[in-house]
Amino acid sequence: MGAQQRVYKQRIRSAQGMKKIFKAKEMVAASRIAKAHARVEATTPYAEALTRAIGSVATHSQEISHPFLDSERRETGRVGILMITADRGMTGPYSHNVIRAAEQLANTLRDAGKEPVMYVVGRKGESYYRFRNRPPHRAWTPYKENELPALGREIASVLTEDLLSEDPAVHLDELYVVGTKFESRFIQHTKSIRMVPMGLVEAEAAAERPAFPLYEFVPDADAVIEELLPRYIQSRIINILLQAMASEHASTQRAMKTATDNAQTQIDKFTRLANSARQAEITQEITEIVGGADALSGSGRTER
Amino acid sequence: MSALEVTFVTADRTVWTGKASQVVVPAIDGSMGILPQMQPTLAILGDGIVKITDEDGHADERSVSGGFVSVDSDVVTIGVDDAEAVAPRSERF
Repeated sequence: MGAQQRVYKQRIRSAQGMKKIFKAKEMVAASRIAKAHARVEATTPYAEALTRAIGSVATHSQEISHPFLDSERRETGRVGILMITADRGMTGPYSHNVIRAAEQLANTLRDAGKEPVMYVVGRKGESYYRFRNRPPHRAWTPYKENELPALGREIASVLTEDLLSEDPAVHLDELYVVGTKFESRFIQHTKSIRMVPMGLVEAEAAAERPAFPLYEFVPDADAVIEELLPRYIQSRIINILLQAMASEHASTQRAMKTATDNAQTQIDKFTRLANSARQAEITQEITEIVGGADALSGSGRTER
Repeated sequence: MSALEVTFVTADRTVWTGKASQVVVPAIDGSMGILPQMQPTLAILGDGIVKITDEDGHADERSVSGGFVSVDSDVVTIGVDDAEAVAPRSERF
């Protein structure tokens, strides 16, 4: 076998090996999407219960006041950005999209004279900032997929503490979350959401929905809202984390599908090249034999 | 007698749903019993045990710390951070 052929065979073998790995990763990601999505769905009842409860407090008492609802929070100019990226690679554009959105948001905030403070989840985002010599204010990494709710609680408690802090070096005026919303396994959107200050949207079409009943608050309306709002933030953060996880798997699946296809294209290409190399070699050998025979017959020798 | 429509959820899952005849929750200012036809209430929970008695009289107990409960025309929603099973005598789980 000629050297040319051997090189092509080698390339084909390595592409086949990679294809197997990509295929395996694709299938693993595909099976995890469903599970991750189920986890997202499981948080919905709690979030709904919480939203209803907050809605009923808001409609019931006219002048609820809470630091999270105050739309003019301007003390230090510090604005928290919670960025949720992946821990792993091979997720296609997933992490980069989030990082880009967060950077855009940070630039907008800087233009408005505010000081963005980064809170990062995931190794990809953390290393992005560390590599550029501006380490994030706080980073949670690495994280485990089945411990996301606990992680969400921890993040929420840290952020709530910073939001309510009196210390000007710690206090945050606003809080944004940059993550990826999981619409379906084919569609995910990178989104920046303002978490604090919250806007209480008065239900305009109140007539269509059942009016909230007059509640008895234990111990009182202010204490109730004080308890519920941090819980709301916590539940939102957990929900966003879980959605991000599902999106990460979906993105991985798509990236690995493309990689598998590319490996196959590569295999096809090298198979063709190997075939033509083989054919060229055969042709050359025949030419040599025929040429040799012609030379022999032309020399006038009769015996071999 | 009407029954209570109970939904007991934690941040990441649903713990208990169904009809119950009585629910006892540890409100922040003391234990609070909920029976059908109770007035709408929104209460903050402290540490303690949530006890749900279903229509057959089986009682389910879960220890919770912090959360909220809303009661509204016999629909009871309990939301907590984490609920841990206390009583192994419950047959439902």
